[in-house]
Amino acid sequence: MIEFNNVSKRYENGTKALENVSLNIDRGEFVFIVGSSGAGKSTLIKLMLREEKPTSGIVHVNGFNLNKIKRRQIPKFRRTLGVVFQDFRLIPYMTAYDNVAFALRVTNVSLRDIRRRVPYVLGLVGLASKARIVPEKLSGGEQQRVALARALVNNPDLIIADEPTGNIDPELSFEIVELLHEINKMGTTIVMVTHEHELVSHFNHRVITIENGTVVSDTPEYQEEAGYL
Amino acid sequence: MRTSSFGYLVKEGARSLWVNRLMSTAAVGVLAACLILVGAAGLFAANVSSIVSYFEDENEIVVFLEDGIDQKGVDDASLKIRMMDNISEASFVSNEQALQEQMDKYGEYAWLLEEYQGEENMLPHAFRVKVKDLVKLEETAEALLDMSEVQEVRVPTEVAHTLLGIRSIVSWCGFIIVLILLTVSLIIIANTIKITVFNRRKEISIMKYVGATDSFIKLPFVVEGLLLGLLSALLAYMVVWGGYVYVMEWAGTVDSAWLQELYQYFIPFEQVFKEVLISFCAIGVGVGSFGSMVFVGKYLKV
Ligand SMILES: Nc1ncnc2c1ncn2[C@@H]1O[C@H](COP(=O)(O)OP(=O)(O)O)[C@@H](O)[C@H]1O
Ligand SMILES: [Mg+2]
Repeated sequence: MIEFNNVSKRYENGTKALENVSLNIDRGEFVFIVGSSGAGKSTLIKLMLREEKPTSGIVHVNGFNLNKIKRRQIPKFRRTLGVVFQDFRLIPYMTAYDNVAFALRVTNVSLRDIRRRVPYVLGLVGLASKARIVPEKLSGGEQQRVALARALVNNPDLIIADEPTGNIDPELSFEIVELLHEINKMGTTIVMVTHEHELVSHFNHRVITIENGTVVSDTPEYQEEAGYL
Repeated sequence: MRTSSFGYLVKEGARSLWVNRLMSTAAVGVLAACLILVGAAGLFAANVSSIVSYFEDENEIVVFLEDGIDQKGVDDASLKIRMMDNISEASFVSNEQALQEQMDKYGEYAWLLEEYQGEENMLPHAFRVKVKDLVKLEETAEALLDMSEVQEVRVPTEVAHTLLGIRSIVSWCGFIIVLILLTVSLIIIANTIKITVFNRRKEISIMKYVGATDSFIKLPFVVEGLLLGLLSALLAYMVVWGGYVYVMEWAGTVDSAWLQELYQYFIPFEQVFKEVLISFCAIGVGVGSFGSMVFVGKYLKV
């Protein structure tokens, strides 16, 4: 589903953000990406979204070779995934409903499908009753759930979240990750960047650690050693 | 395109106009001012052209035929003249008619010319010829002079030069004015779009993440530019209409002999309102949508 092959990224100003990163994320996985600030986590995400191009190495996501993808195909590629950011990125003058519907309206989805999908995903993230409220009247956790609903609304196979809990109270952070966990159980692949260790240790998922632009550890989901007792 | 998306595009373009209404008003004001100046220049040029073509009509070459030419010679000359490219009208003036005209001019002294009537008429037969294109006046005059039946040609060269000069000055000035104003309009559109792109940078970035196509992202800006252009065109049309009618009324009442002489050749607004309206809308919509299409690509980097 996601494949990095010897990927390096050097920004135009000379900063080496990633060096020789190779990793493989399969369909249905839930992966935490951790590392200190400036380690290169967001750069990794930007390469996955084709917001940046690698300086060297090959990136494959959802069956698209992102080294070779044509400009014209990028929108089609982006429709196969959903993104969530630390700062929510909601449109302030639109209600929760319209923020979610926006993703469908700008990608040529029929009105009928919009009316069907939007209430469904708002229900999924537990915001059915707050559909008519604008972002500033919602809590941080609720705003992030609107953003998550927007990421989910076109039914993507992959959700990429860059520090989705970074602007949220710790108690509410668990709710968000719990939600992602539920979504993962329904079959969606989740890649979530975070530097909150409590979150990572609370959920039993694969953890990729990045420091100074390289992968320093990659621990798979802890498998219960059943049958030996 | 789906109706939901189309509705979104038009709504976004119009909403953006409203959200930035101060800037939109300024942009419409400047664009309308440009169009008004273009319209004024165009109408001025059209009126000058109308007056010039009146004088053009008054301008005729007189072609004097050889003395003692016979009827066949006159017929030959008539045929040759009418076959020439640049000639719109040719009328034969016999020496008798010419003498009669002279006598009419003399009025009560006409009897002085009486003795030249009939056999004694010394005047040559002539053709009065009007040319189609004043630019080729001299060429045509030379061709006429080359004919064997012709002894002399009288050409109003100076008047022609003056008229041509006026016309080319007016059209060059008009052209330069239009060019400058088009540039100004494009700069205004570019700035408006630049500010709109900045104001909408959040929506644009979200659109990119959720997979909206480049053209879809650009369309609201084009709609906005188009609406700006259209509003400016309508505003400019009303001002030009009112202004033109007012100037015409004023010109009709001014106590000046030469102005009254020219007044009859001014073009009434009813005769050109369609052209003015259509060209304003075309320029406004064209500059608005083309300008935003070009500049939005530059500022968006989608
Ligand atoms: N657009 C950019 N241009 C130049 N340097 C950048 C850019 N984005 C990030 N960097 C640099 O790359 C390094 C990794 O940044 P980033 O991937 O954002 O780290 P993280 O998300 O792990 O905090 C940092 O040194 C950062 O300053
Ligand atoms: Mg980061």
